[in-house]
Amino acid sequence: MKTFALRVENLEKYFPPAATGWRALLHPMMQLTVPALRGISFELEKGGVLAVVGANGAGKSTLLRILTTLLLPTQGRAQVCGFDVAAEPAKVRSQIGYHTGNDGCFYARLSGRENLNLFATLNNLSRAETARRISELTDLFGLGPLLDQQVRTLSTGNIHRLGLARAMLHRPSLLLLDEPTRSLDPLAAAEFRRFLQQRIVGEHGTTVLFASHTLAEVEQLAGWVAVLDHGRLLGCDTPERLRAASGGATLEQSLENMTHRAARETQ
Amino acid sequence: MTEPSGAGSTLRKLAILFRRDLAVARSYRAAFVLELFYALFGAASFYFLSRFVDSPQLEKSLPQGTNYFSFVLVGLAFFDYLTIGLHTFDESLQSARQNGTLENLLVTQTSLPVILAGSSLYPFVLLSLRTVIYLGWGAALFGFPVGNANWLGALLVLAASVLAFSGLGILSASYLLVFKKGNPVNWAVIGVSSVVGGMMYPVSVLPRWLQFIARLTPVTYSLEGMRAALLGHASFLELWPPLAALLIFAVLLLPISFLVFSWALRRTKITGTLTHF
Repeated sequence: MKTFALRVENLEKYFPPAATGWRALLHPMMQLTVPALRGISFELEKGGVLAVVGANGAGKSTLLRILTTLLLPTQGRAQVCGFDVAAEPAKVRSQIGYHTGNDGCFYARLSGRENLNLFATLNNLSRAETARRISELTDLFGLGPLLDQQVRTLSTGNIHRLGLARAMLHRPSLLLLDEPTRSLDPLAAAEFRRFLQQRIVGEHGTTVLFASHTLAEVEQLAGWVAVLDHGRLLGCDTPERLRAASGGATLEQSLENMTHRAARETQ
Repeated sequence: MTEPSGAGSTLRKLAILFRRDLAVARSYRAAFVLELFYALFGAASFYFLSRFVDSPQLEKSLPQGTNYFSFVLVGLAFFDYLTIGLHTFDESLQSARQNGTLENLLVTQTSLPVILAGSSLYPFVLLSLRTVIYLGWGAALFGFPVGNANWLGALLVLAASVLAFSGLGILSASYLLVFKKGNPVNWAVIGVSSVVGGMMYPVSVLPRWLQFIARLTPVTYSLEGMRAALLGHASFLELWPPLAALLIFAVLLLPISFLVFSWALRRTKITGTLTHF
């Protein structure tokens, strides 16, 4: 029997319209009329790697923020390892690790070790377990000599490694990555992908969901691809089956075909 | 192995958030040391101000046994607790938003109220250190009378004040969570309190209607209690009226502020503005 790390059913998210000036005071009370996700459903098996792709504004980050409990869904439900994101957010947070491509998400004047210590404690790790995990992850991520330097002195690539180490501290069942290679140069991005594939997925068997604009990255890493367009899920399948179903020779062509077809259908 | 999330775990979280802020402050070494010396300049300027304005007529308006220097030193030093109480939650939220750590803090297994409480510890401890230095400089150089102070009573008044002010601070953070800027809670509370709270002059010199407003302001009781404990050598029985008033403020404000904060947090998760600034 298949066990699912993630199950999303008819998930909808609407935001209030943007407001400026005095109208901004009413923004928190405005009706939710701007769609970001329109009834999407998919599942991800334990140990699987799913890439979420789509143009800017397709709903990728909204989906990730709902799964991390930073946003509440408007309709529908999402379960992480059997826990509902809206009803059991604390249990969901114990199952997830989250990392974004943003490199300014640490206390820059603290060392990597001080940062990891802080986040381990906030994730309920005991002192002994914190020390053990930091040591394990330092070896895994090759951070040894850098760990006691202030974060502001580290390169972007090393900050990303530190970010992944932070996301893995409490042994999450599901790793959520939002455009993880966004601010990396091509060589650092390639190294990051190799590292994710070999060490995180290959050796640790962690389930991964990542949003990306880089299709080479998607083809290299993902067993399944979910295609979002204007908040709609156009397809969720293996890259090969998506190519076959949409008649594209490459994943890029397949995405173009799928989004053009969706645009024609909505006209 | 993860720890169960009980009181011990919460205390560890509060302690590590305090250590985080201490480590960040220590990394700016010069500012850290200079901040401690500001107290000397503050105490000196209050002393010379008091020499300028002190007169037998003024002393009649002050609580018995005090002079204007000791009156204003306690007033200014402890009024800062209100300012910090109102600003600390706002500032920790705003700085986490700006340095990009808010999302990462919120996806941990620690609730936002615990994160905010932990982030407010360092400013309160630093302020207490600065206040002790203020009083120390005052006693060492300018004749501030500390010989017969009721220190335990002063600590109780301080603890009750921090609880009452924190209620206001959480309300203020709720506003910031939803509306992001231009916080009228801070503006109104600090503005009104600085006029009627008795920081620089006794409440008794105010017109009757302002004295009535002063009675609705927690800082009035905080400063009265603190002056009575430190300068008036008041017994615990004599400290009870301001202490009780502060506890009533705390009992009313804290549950209301937690309810409002929960609503604000939920609302920002609906509107998608939790991490916006």
